[in-house]
Amino acid sequence: MADTRKIVLEVLRYTPGQSTAPTLQQYPIEFTDDMSVLQGLQQVKDFVDGSLTFRWSCRMAICGSCGMMIDGAPKLACRAFLRDFLPGPLRVEPLEHFPIERDLVVDISDFVDKLGRITPWIEPREPRSLEQGEYLQTPAQLERFESFSHCINCMLCYAACPQYGLDSRFLGPAATALLHRYNSDSRDGAQAKRMELVNSEEGVWACTAVGYCSEVCPKAVDPANAVNQNKTASAVSWFARFLPGRG
Amino acid sequence: MDGWWRRDPFFIRYMAREATAPFVAAYAIVLLVGIVSLARGADAYEEWLEALASTGWIVAHAILVAIFAYHTYTWFQIMPKTMPPVVVRGRRLAPEVITFAGIAAAVLASLALWILVAYGAP
Amino acid sequence: MDTVDVDVVIIGGGGAGLRAAIAAAASDPQLKIALVSKVYPMRSHTVAAEGGSAAVTLAEDSLEHHFNDTVSGGDWLCDQDAVEYFVEHCHEEMVQLEHWGCPWSRREDGRVNVRAFGGMKIERTWFAADLTGFHMLHTLFQTSMKYPSIRRFDEHFCCDLLVHEGSAQGVVVIDIATGEFSMILARAVIIATGGAGRVFRQNTNGGIVTGDGMALAYRRGVPLRDMEFMQYHPTCMPGTGLLFTEACRGEGGILVNRDGYRYLQDYGLGPPDPWPRKKAMELGPRDRLSQAFWHEQRKGRTIDTPHGPAVHLDLRKLGEKLLRERLPQICELARDFLGIDPAQAPIPVRPCVHYTMGGIPTDVNTAAPLPGLYAAGECASSGIHGANRLGSNSLAELCVFGRVAGEQAARFAREAPAPNGVSLRWQAQDARGSAVGLLARPAGGERLATLRDEMALAMEQGGGIYRLEPEMQATCKKIAELTERLPTVNLGDRSQCWNTEWLAAIELGFQLDVAQAMAHSALARRESRGAHQRLDEGLTERDDANYLKHTLASHVRAGPPAIGWSEVVITRSPPGVRAYGAAGESKEAAVG
Repeated sequence: MADTRKIVLEVLRYTPGQSTAPTLQQYPIEFTDDMSVLQGLQQVKDFVDGSLTFRWSCRMAICGSCGMMIDGAPKLACRAFLRDFLPGPLRVEPLEHFPIERDLVVDISDFVDKLGRITPWIEPREPRSLEQGEYLQTPAQLERFESFSHCINCMLCYAACPQYGLDSRFLGPAATALLHRYNSDSRDGAQAKRMELVNSEEGVWACTAVGYCSEVCPKAVDPANAVNQNKTASAVSWFARFLPGRG
Repeated sequence: MDGWWRRDPFFIRYMAREATAPFVAAYAIVLLVGIVSLARGADAYEEWLEALASTGWIVAHAILVAIFAYHTYTWFQIMPKTMPPVVVRGRRLAPEVITFAGIAAAVLASLALWILVAYGAP
Repeated sequence: MDTVDVDVVIIGGGGAGLRAAIAAAASDPQLKIALVSKVYPMRSHTVAAEGGSAAVTLAEDSLEHHFNDTVSGGDWLCDQDAVEYFVEHCHEEMVQLEHWGCPWSRREDGRVNVRAFGGMKIERTWFAADLTGFHMLHTLFQTSMKYPSIRRFDEHFCCDLLVHEGSAQGVVVIDIATGEFSMILARAVIIATGGAGRVFRQNTNGGIVTGDGMALAYRRGVPLRDMEFMQYHPTCMPGTGLLFTEACRGEGGILVNRDGYRYLQDYGLGPPDPWPRKKAMELGPRDRLSQAFWHEQRKGRTIDTPHGPAVHLDLRKLGEKLLRERLPQICELARDFLGIDPAQAPIPVRPCVHYTMGGIPTDVNTAAPLPGLYAAGECASSGIHGANRLGSNSLAELCVFGRVAGEQAARFAREAPAPNGVSLRWQAQDARGSAVGLLARPAGGERLATLRDEMALAMEQGGGIYRLEPEMQATCKKIAELTERLPTVNLGDRSQCWNTEWLAAIELGFQLDVAQAMAHSALARRESRGAHQRLDEGLTERDDANYLKHTLASHVRAGPPAIGWSEVVITRSPPGVRAYGAAGESKEAAVG
């Protein structure tokens, strides 16, 4: 086995209703160079303190469960490596801008509700039966939306978005990226419906182009791009009202 | 959320970028005044030029050049995030390419303008 | 305790559960549907499936070919009526996903592209780069939001199945955030909780893959079928077990040993063509490839890594461009976790536990032997995988049998009587009592992780790629011992809110039951077939005369399971020789 080194994890602990205020608890651990922050937390939970609470599952940066603030920045714990935070201590906190449910677990129901409101399904531009087979979609048409479909709903972008932190009514980066994903899909015909949300108070105009959402995205989705493309679309649709024949 | 922008260097850079914007707007007014003076005749225009040649204005210009350079740099840095994907020969143009092209265009335009001013129109 | 009344309750929000929910909702908008998941549905482990999903697509392909590949791949332990139904319905399900927006990879003309996969005669694997499961799951989850009749219970942990007078009538769930119990009464129950790979040490599975649904049914008298068949995926990351998709090889990647030699040619899989030949070499079935690794290790021809022996998965000849386009996630995993660029260097890999072939036995209608209970996905033993699953059949299975489960449960629910609330309430109170009892124990005792790690190690030792009677017996004994130790485990966390230590203890109880069924089923099958290979004298070959049948492990209170047997359904393919590579081709030529 490879050599082990030492680092102290400094983890935020808080249980609403039980703790008076969040506290930081220190856990010294030994680690090997290939160990992720998630593995460090698991080591603590398994062998030191079973009450330390965090979400995790796939371990390979695809399920989106283990987003947390690691050394002050939103990251997936399974894809952040302990070796990169020496000498420590390494501060681990729950994602910013979300209510804490317990320790590193935050309440993301606000996002899931928003996801439900962007019409996150295809409303066919042209109906097609199963017998007629698949819609034709060229690689170029796929390319127009594919990267926006890579969102794993990990919430790092919401933790990175100061506008969402200031006013959580903002639809936010991931939901807008997914909205844009459907709006840019050649098979879809519900653009007008989704644009109502884009143009609304909670829509894209709350964004001030900080751009940190795209920096922290572990899947290179570039939600800032989705938001800003929709600002253009929103502006165009506003001016289009004044064109003759558009009433 | 108080003081949120001090929490991360990324936010500090963002606030710096936003802080440069009023200077850009203010200088647009200065230039607008120049155009208005030009419209009012040669004397008015000369007067405006002379005012800008004062020590105070020269110091201000030196500071403004630095501010504008930063603004230009960050503006092109954010540009790829604000525009639809540019597809060249079937491949999406990388954001770095767009940023570099923008900054290069700004530098070239500034140089061209400077040469024009320094050596006069042909 | 709160009571929720619905028509159909679905446990598990992965691919199968979501597909079932949509099918039930679409079949009758009046039905009330509850979808219970211990994680948000998009976290379910379907998300980690990479390579693709099978469906006969090309003109030169046929349902017959897909049927034959599946049945021979399963070493003739498949129920052929289920396989027939399955191969007939894969294509329409893939098209359905396409209509719902799944971003399938395309050909230049806009049609869906297909790739080669292990054990498949012709390219028929639909794929979305190497994120197929991810895209299928998110497409299904987002599409499910279209149906207001689906009421989701996200982050609710199911701790018991309610049965009254021989029919399934609901479940007991714990709201993870509050620790509060609810009883969900339903006229039909669908279990879609996925596999149980976490009972093994090195595995590709997410932390949530703990066999909950299998154990829930098992404890209520439903036997578990073919549990001895665990699939080892041949190309996983040593240590963590993270998966490098079979599509790596479908696209042309090769496996070499420490001498740079394509060792698979020594195990009846040759010839070693430079191009990917179907059903040969690296495109052989997973059981054969994992077994070849075991032999290479024995011969001392593997590569030493800090996490044990490995071989090399070499993707270099695919080139940077194809790798980025077809296998982006593989590149990311190799880079982030191993510091390797697959375009520049080979990736060390080894076999790890990947898929649970066995599970809750179901018929072609996904009905389990308990009226009102249906099962779909990895938790079910639908009969299509037999003794070894072919890659890309399981994602298709989620859709084909997920839809059937939704429709059949909806049909059953319309005719079934209302659940007996009084009797079930008593059962639910008991379930709460035993779950909460874990928290009421005095402090002290062993750590949960100690037991979990001992279980996983024992399963690896007695349930490996090759198995030996004394080791299997030791594993059975160990699992029994751990089951006895479980009630004395120390739970330091006494909180009601988000008590994941407590839930992990309940999960470990599920895992030990499933592990017990696996270990005893393996011991009872005195032959070698598919993923169950024995080294014991006289048992190293397939024995159709005595063992062309399914094992059925039935739960026995405080004792080892009773092992029974059931017939394999054979409709048109009598057991034959399972040959791959050149031998397989000449055999197919002789037959057809």
